[in-house]
Amino acid sequence: MTAVDLQPGVPTPAQQHTGGGESRGFLGTIKANYDLLVAPIIVVIGLIVMVAYVGSQTLDTIEERALEPANVFGQLGQHLLLTVYSTVLVLVIAVPLGIVLSRPGARRIQGAVLALGGFAQALPPFGVLLLLGFWEFGVRSAVIGLTLAALLPVLRNTVVGLQQVDQSLIEAARGMGMSARQTLFSVEIPLAVPVIVAGLRVALVLNVGTATLATYIGAGGLGELVQQALRLNRINLLFVSGAIIAAVALLVDWLAGVAERAIVARSG
Amino acid sequence: MSDTENMIVLEAVEKIYPGSSSPAVERLDMAIPRGEIVMLIGPSGCGKTTTLKMMNRLIEPTGGRIILDGDDVTDVNGDQLRRKIGYVIQQGGLFPHYSIADNIGVVPKMLGWDKNRIKERADELLHLVGLEPSTYRDRYPRQLSGGQQQRVGVARALAADPPVMLMDEPFGAIDPITRDRLQDEFLEIQRTVGKTICFVTHDLQEAVKLGDRIAVFGTGGRLAQYDSPDTVLTSPADDFVSDFVGGGAAVRRLSLLELSRLELHPIETEEKAVGNRNGTPVAEVDGSGRPVAWRHLPDRDAAGTTLVTVPLSGTVYDAVDVMLDGSASLVAVVDEEGLPQGVLHWNDLVAGLKTRERGA
Repeated sequence: MTAVDLQPGVPTPAQQHTGGGESRGFLGTIKANYDLLVAPIIVVIGLIVMVAYVGSQTLDTIEERALEPANVFGQLGQHLLLTVYSTVLVLVIAVPLGIVLSRPGARRIQGAVLALGGFAQALPPFGVLLLLGFWEFGVRSAVIGLTLAALLPVLRNTVVGLQQVDQSLIEAARGMGMSARQTLFSVEIPLAVPVIVAGLRVALVLNVGTATLATYIGAGGLGELVQQALRLNRINLLFVSGAIIAAVALLVDWLAGVAERAIVARSG
Repeated sequence: MSDTENMIVLEAVEKIYPGSSSPAVERLDMAIPRGEIVMLIGPSGCGKTTTLKMMNRLIEPTGGRIILDGDDVTDVNGDQLRRKIGYVIQQGGLFPHYSIADNIGVVPKMLGWDKNRIKERADELLHLVGLEPSTYRDRYPRQLSGGQQQRVGVARALAADPPVMLMDEPFGAIDPITRDRLQDEFLEIQRTVGKTICFVTHDLQEAVKLGDRIAVFGTGGRLAQYDSPDTVLTSPADDFVSDFVGGGAAVRRLSLLELSRLELHPIETEEKAVGNRNGTPVAEVDGSGRPVAWRHLPDRDAAGTTLVTVPLSGTVYDAVDVMLDGSASLVAVVDEEGLPQGVLHWNDLVAGLKTRERGA
């Protein structure tokens, strides 16, 4: 492999080799990561059981209408959009903020800002969403509420991830003549990536779950199904919506886990 | 001394940390001659590392001037300055997410070398530090042993061919056997590259072995003595240095005396020595001329004395070691081919060793 780019301010591209340096075959990759298959298998079995159960029941028109694929997938789409918007916002806000807080100049306010993040996380998301509903009903408020609730894990992991970078590596980088900026982008951030990504995964899973509540301020999502089922007292509908929400959360977490593992393997 | 023969000159350099009343390094004047290895040594907290880091301004001095190769670098851009000075730290400080070749290429990359030149340079340096380029260039640091990582650390510091190298206890965390080998290799490399090297250590043995000069720091960042290893060991400047050097200085000094610099007693081999029963020891040799046993010794029974040998490239310390080990009161000094060059007697050690001019 040729030398990686080390231009000032440009993050070093992730290494092409996996940690071991030896190239594993496709089968080897599967063998080493077989534990990743557990979650999807459980989800598939759960969904099969659900479909079989629903198939054995006679559904009334209300249930049939609610369970129409177009309806369910529409809500699923809304749900995923809410999750993606809020997680991207978390990423865009918390990672740079965490980087700034980890700089020597900002160490003094680090505790205060992290405490604020903890405060935001401790607020019940349901309450926050309802309060934001007073300001505006709809997707915008929901995304803000979700973002607030999920800010802390990413913020904290960014700060911690940068702090746990071996001081001697930073010293080596500076000692060779890297500027503070080059050291940050070529050494500190790449080495903190695994921890930051772990925080993002937590935020993502939090958001998938909490997005269920967005329906109460008119932002749609799979919570709509639940609300309908409760309002109309349809047990079958409640069961199906619960199963779908659980399956989506598990799959999103699984995908995030796969992505995390790939990124960690690349960043050494 | 004029500045042309000194690579690094510190003039009244001082470091007082904020909030501290006593200086970490106190008005230090020191000149490091071109091409020499200077060892900074002293108890912890004596300011030796601070002094080293002020030389490349990783720590900014609070007073005084730093002159590098005749230029005052006290106020130049620190990052630019450091790219021209090699820097090695404990355990190498290699970046775990960079391959070995990329680690070596860090400084050349910053200096804007083209990719092929960086690659060639990395291979060349890996070769220099005794690592096969094709095997190691694409590996990652954690796949290397501590000693190998340290070799790469040295290679990385040499990458842009800086005239000066600063080394901060580079062999400190390495097991004694590997450390010894690395020190030998380091001296070997230095013979090729001839850098001006400033080296922090807490190991007096290492300082004596590697240093052309030793700077002993006292508590409070005071330079207690700055002299050749021989002088530091034999005539400590004050009580502090003599305490620091401690007992055993005379024994340590033995490792400074190279056998090649000594006047050795003559040795005869059997063919030439027929009938010659004077005061010269006579050795039996094998087919290729290597001594295997004593045939005749002037003052004792030759059959009861083991023949031990020591290479001419070794030191008196090595000679004493083999004599003690073989319970022999004399040792045959042999050259690279194993041919006898002379004899060193146990009595010579106490009677005073005669040295001849270096290179004679």
